[in-house]
Amino acid sequence: MASLHLQDLTVEFPIYQANGRSLKKALFSAPMGTNLARDAANRILVRALSHLTLTIDKGDRVGLIGPNGSGKTTLLKTLAGIYEPTSGALHTQGRVSALLDVQMGMNPDATGRENIMLRGMYMGIHPKDMQVHVEEVVEFTELGPYIDMPVRTYSAGMMLRLAFAASTCVEPEILLMDEWLAAGDSHFLAKAQKRMEDFVQRSSLMVLASHSLELLEKWCNKGLYLRNGNVIAYGPLAEVAAVYQQSLAET
Amino acid sequence: MTVAGKPLSAQAGPVQTNRPATPNRGRLALRDLANGMNQHWLWRAMAMQDIVLRYRGSVLGPLWLTFSTAIMIAAMGFVYSQIFHLDPERYVPFLTLGLLVWQFISSVITDGCSAFMSVQHAIQQVRLPYTVHVLRSVFRNLLILGHNAVLIPIVFLMMGHGIGWEALMVIPGLVLLCINGFWISILLGMLSARFRDVPPIVAALLQVIFFVTPVFWTVETLGKYRHVGDFNPLFAAIDVVRAPLLGEPFAPYSWQIVGTMTVGGLLVTAVFFSRFRSRIAYWV
Repeated sequence: MASLHLQDLTVEFPIYQANGRSLKKALFSAPMGTNLARDAANRILVRALSHLTLTIDKGDRVGLIGPNGSGKTTLLKTLAGIYEPTSGALHTQGRVSALLDVQMGMNPDATGRENIMLRGMYMGIHPKDMQVHVEEVVEFTELGPYIDMPVRTYSAGMMLRLAFAASTCVEPEILLMDEWLAAGDSHFLAKAQKRMEDFVQRSSLMVLASHSLELLEKWCNKGLYLRNGNVIAYGPLAEVAAVYQQSLAET
Repeated sequence: MTVAGKPLSAQAGPVQTNRPATPNRGRLALRDLANGMNQHWLWRAMAMQDIVLRYRGSVLGPLWLTFSTAIMIAAMGFVYSQIFHLDPERYVPFLTLGLLVWQFISSVITDGCSAFMSVQHAIQQVRLPYTVHVLRSVFRNLLILGHNAVLIPIVFLMMGHGIGWEALMVIPGLVLLCINGFWISILLGMLSARFRDVPPIVAALLQVIFFVTPVFWTVETLGKYRHVGDFNPLFAAIDVVRAPLLGEPFAPYSWQIVGTMTVGGLLVTAVFFSRFRSRIAYWV
């Protein structure tokens, strides 16, 4: 039973590099000035996520949407346990699998097959346990003989196939994806979508960030609209998409 | 659907009281350590990969490590046995061990500074125990020491230097050095991630320390200032490994100093790590 529960969750980044003068500049000229603040030590803080309270349950396929700098990636990283919330709490049930960066844990000089093992290691899967999945992963990627070539010879789309297949070979309970599916061709995307739907039907959940409403409509059943680290709308995808498009039209 | 302005908590449903309370920082730090130890296959594999990758495509491969150390020992052994008027048969084994252990200590310290920064990418993409990165760094240097250690029997044979049962004392010595390397790497790794001036400061200090620590000269040559050498913690660290292999008695305070460093360092690091562990992802 996978679920994610956020309770008044806030994530703030202190900016250490800025000095006094550029602090001032940052404060007055920041394009997204609403989420800049100062902490007790007078350091500049970027509030990336502000008091989020929401629950994502099993079977939910949540599409994260919002303009650049709205906190989508930060939210994914927080859900993945990479950033621990500055305040508030995150309760996670289920094993998290985060596909945030295609290149993560990949070694360009190693072959595709070796990289499947490497990826598995980074996900905490012992090489012995990973071994049984390798053939299935190879098959899913449809890379053919390229699987034994160094990964640096791969195109972005091939890399994506490898990363996606390797990351999802052990059924994820909570799958977090940043918007990098765009590199895949339609054949692969259809295949990946099928795989995801199977997972989500079997008691897991997914959060996917993307700018493409079209993609989200295909993949997701719920929407979460973030702006400046605040939840603007959360609910069935169609309704959230409507709010999003309306606010785009207004600005 | 909830839209901003309406209470979002209604969406979340009543907050259940049976959710586990967030564990305290110390508990989380301990869990990080336990998970790191459990995933020993991960950091061992990563460390080996580090070494293999560094030498991929070269003819000698990791043997370059051994080779470059051998050249250094041959050159320094010749020159300094002349300068100090020492018998090469006694000086070269002494120098070999001193250099090997020094290289281990100094590279554990410099790699410790970058233990978190150099894996910034991994830290920001995947959740791993932070201790995994530190253990990888220490273990990588232990592997390098292993490569260099091949030189010890060679030098001992060439110089006709024997080895006795007391050499077994090298094992607790090395274990203590690794434990010290572990806490130093956590501490320096965190400090360096937060304050980017730390790595150059440490690098500059290490260079000086090499010359003022009895690595390639003996502590006895300090004469009446000998205690300056005896109380140098880096000398103590070298001594606990070098003395048993040379079959010589330990310097008077070596074990006390190394033991105190281990306990004190672990305590200080435990406090720092518990307090700031969750900030590392924000710092790197």
